[in-house]
This record gives sequence, structure tokens and C-alpha cells, in this order.
Amino acid sequence: MPELRRDPIIGRWVIIASERGKRPYDFVTEKDITKGGFCPLCPGHENTTPPEVLVYGRPSHDPNGPNWQLRVVPNKYPALIIEGDLDKRGEGIYDKMNGIGAHEVIIESPNHHETLSSMDIDQLVLVFRAYKDRLIDLARDKRFKYIIVFKNFGKAAGASLEHSHSQLIALPIVPQIIQEELYGCQRYFDYKERCVFCDIIRQERSQQMRLVDENDDFITICPFAPRSPFEMWVLPKRHQSRFNSMDDGQLYQLALLFSSTMRKLDNALPNVPYNYMLHTAPLNDAHLEHYHWHIEIMPKVSTVAGFEWGTGFHINTVPPEEAAVILKGS
Amino acid sequence: MSDTRKKILVVDDEESIHLLYREELEEEGYEVISAMTGEEGLKLFQEEKPDLVILDINMPGMDGIEVLRQMKQMSPDVPVILSSAYPEYKQDLASWASDDYIVKSFNLDELKNSVKRHLAGR
Repeated sequence: MPELRRDPIIGRWVIIASERGKRPYDFVTEKDITKGGFCPLCPGHENTTPPEVLVYGRPSHDPNGPNWQLRVVPNKYPALIIEGDLDKRGEGIYDKMNGIGAHEVIIESPNHHETLSSMDIDQLVLVFRAYKDRLIDLARDKRFKYIIVFKNFGKAAGASLEHSHSQLIALPIVPQIIQEELYGCQRYFDYKERCVFCDIIRQERSQQMRLVDENDDFITICPFAPRSPFEMWVLPKRHQSRFNSMDDGQLYQLALLFSSTMRKLDNALPNVPYNYMLHTAPLNDAHLEHYHWHIEIMPKVSTVAGFEWGTGFHINTVPPEEAAVILKGS
Repeated sequence: MSDTRKKILVVDDEESIHLLYREELEEEGYEVISAMTGEEGLKLFQEEKPDLVILDINMPGMDGIEVLRQMKQMSPDVPVILSSAYPEYKQDLASWASDDYIVKSFNLDELKNSVKRHLAGR
């Protein structure tokens, strides 16, 4: 029988349609055909990107030159622009403001064909360090309230350029989905005086049913009410509300667990397109007792259509307990 | 006397765009050559060696992004201006290989200014 499950944080319902259960081979996708040709993110083509705002590994005497390990550049054709005032205003009952924000691209490696599952740990540490450094730097701009870091991998997940990259957008508002998470976490904390994510980690470690992987500092689970088959969350075991509070040791441990998690995903569902999103506390909030940063990994194996748009429900054909077993063994 | 006019290759699958661009760009003193498909555009790019390319994205067969990557692989210094009715391709990082991205409009001032800017000094 199908099961309705409620996410304990924001209260979103999902339908676990296990009788329609699919096996990993049902989700196997053809590797995106690399069309080749000029890549604007490769070394030697730095002049096709805007000047970098962060670089690792390059000698200081060669600005925007080709010898680098990781670059962060503003988006050449940004969704939001950095210059200007917000000019918040109303038009009758409608609110609007200027499209101010920062839109940056993290070029994760100089190697065109590298993926997160093939990247060595030191390189992955640089990726997470870049997220942290940009979060810290952009937080100084008081126009911004929130920074979302995300990655699209594979054409179906929104990435048509195969060179490994992620993106961040600094926003003048806290997105609705983050507000719902914050509200749900606060409500749980008010009632129980505990962080809901800390309780989830405790329960998942005890039950082991949805646990995919863990090390000393981090844990990967399939959430109880996942929107997508094989959805995973990566969380710090110790309570921490802001991604940029991590020290070097934690960055290394995160890279270790994330690498292992992405290899499991790649082994279970070869070449699967995915998105991941970093959820961290809003910029203006100090340490929050009720909120816990985490990374949500969403394999792109299902379609969002009328039912999902109309209800906010998602239909998931692989129970997370089954997904966790498959991923754990991969 | 040799023709010293700058040569612009327009690649677009819409005949009306070719008519409009040709009229306006020739009035500005440019020579305009036309291709109706990405494949034809690549062929003319190699044969005619244009000074600048105006390239549509959404075309049957080889799309503009793929054409762009091939052109830049061959001649990275030739400016290519993407010209599309759809702004959403800006989210495609492969579009970064272009020198400009202009959303199509019947007012060609933005396009003509971009052409002038990218041909300056060439």
C-alpha cells in the first residue's frame, strides 16, 4: 500500500509509492554526450570569464593566468546584478524591488573532465573552502540576507557545460523554503528545546535504516520523507547552524564523507544527473540553537508535473530505507 | 578596389531576421552574409572568415551553443554575439564563450552598438 509521509521540519507530505518500486537500473541514464569544442571554464580561456573574485593555487604574479587549482568568477550573464540599490516599493498590493544580488560560479577544477566523484580529497576541500570564503566575503554586503550555494550536474539537472562547477547567488531576501525550514526548526525547538536536525541524526544513527555513510564529524542519510528517489542529506554531527563556522579539520572531514557519498551515488546510479543545495543560516543571524546547516542532494530521476506543482506533494517510487541499503552497498 | 567593409555572418533559421538584420547592418556599412542553419553557418565561418558573427541559439539541427563552441575552438578571436528571443540560455554557462548575449528586439540599437563595440580596432 502507498504511504503518506510527513517531513518533520517543514511538514511537507510525500507519497511513497513502493508498489511501483523501481530498481536502480530503472534510473540508469545515458551519459550526456560531450559535444566538445571551446570550454570557457578551462585553463587558458580566463579572458572569456569576468575577472575572478577568488583563486586558489596560482602564483600571485600572474592574475587571471592559467595556473590555478580553483577559480570563482562572477556570472558573465547574471540572474541578478551587483550594482545598485534595492529600492523596495509597492504597486498596490504587490511588492517589488530591484534585482540586486551576486551571482558567482565556482570553477571546481582546472580539469575539464573531473567530477565530484572522481576528484581527489584535497581538491574537494578547496571546493568547500571556496564556498566558505565566498559566504564570509559576501556577508559583509548588508544588502544581502541569504546566499544559496548549489550545483547542477548533467543536462537534465540544468547543467549543459560538463566542466565541473557550482554556483552561488546572494539574495536580498531569505527564500521561502529556508524561511519554512527556520520556522519549522524554531517551532520544534520551542516545544522540545532541542534541534530537530540533531534529533534526526540521533535517531538515524540509532535505527540505521536510512543511514548511508558517516565519519567522525559528518553523516549522510536518506531523509524519512524524500521528494526524490535516492535523495540524500549530508549533515554535521555536532550542532552548527552556519556552514562558514567550519574549521579546517571539519572541511577535510566533510570532503571525505562527501566524496564517499558521491561515489556511492555514482556507483548506484551511474551518470545520474543531480542537484545539490547548501542550506545554511541566513547571513544576519548569529549562531542559531534551532537550525542546523546541511546539504541536500537530489538525483534528477523524477518529473515534477501537475500534481506536484498543484499540491507540493511529491511521489517517490523508492522508499528511503531501500535507497539507503542500495547506496550503502554501492 | 578591394572591399574593406567588415564582414558579418548572421546565422538564424528565420528569414525575417535575415531581412531585418541585412537591411540595418548594410545601412551601417557592413557586408552581411547569411546562413539558415548551424551547419551552414560553420561552413561559411570557415570559408568566408567573417569579422564577426551574430548567432541565433534555438535552431533545428545543430543549436547555436554548439555552433558557438565549434567556432571559438577554430577562431577564438572572432567575436560572436548570441542573439536569441529567449533570455534563459544565459543560464547555460556554455554561452560564456560568446562575446555578448542580446535578446532579440525589433529595435536593433543594442545589437548595432554591440557590433560596433566588438569590431572597433579589428
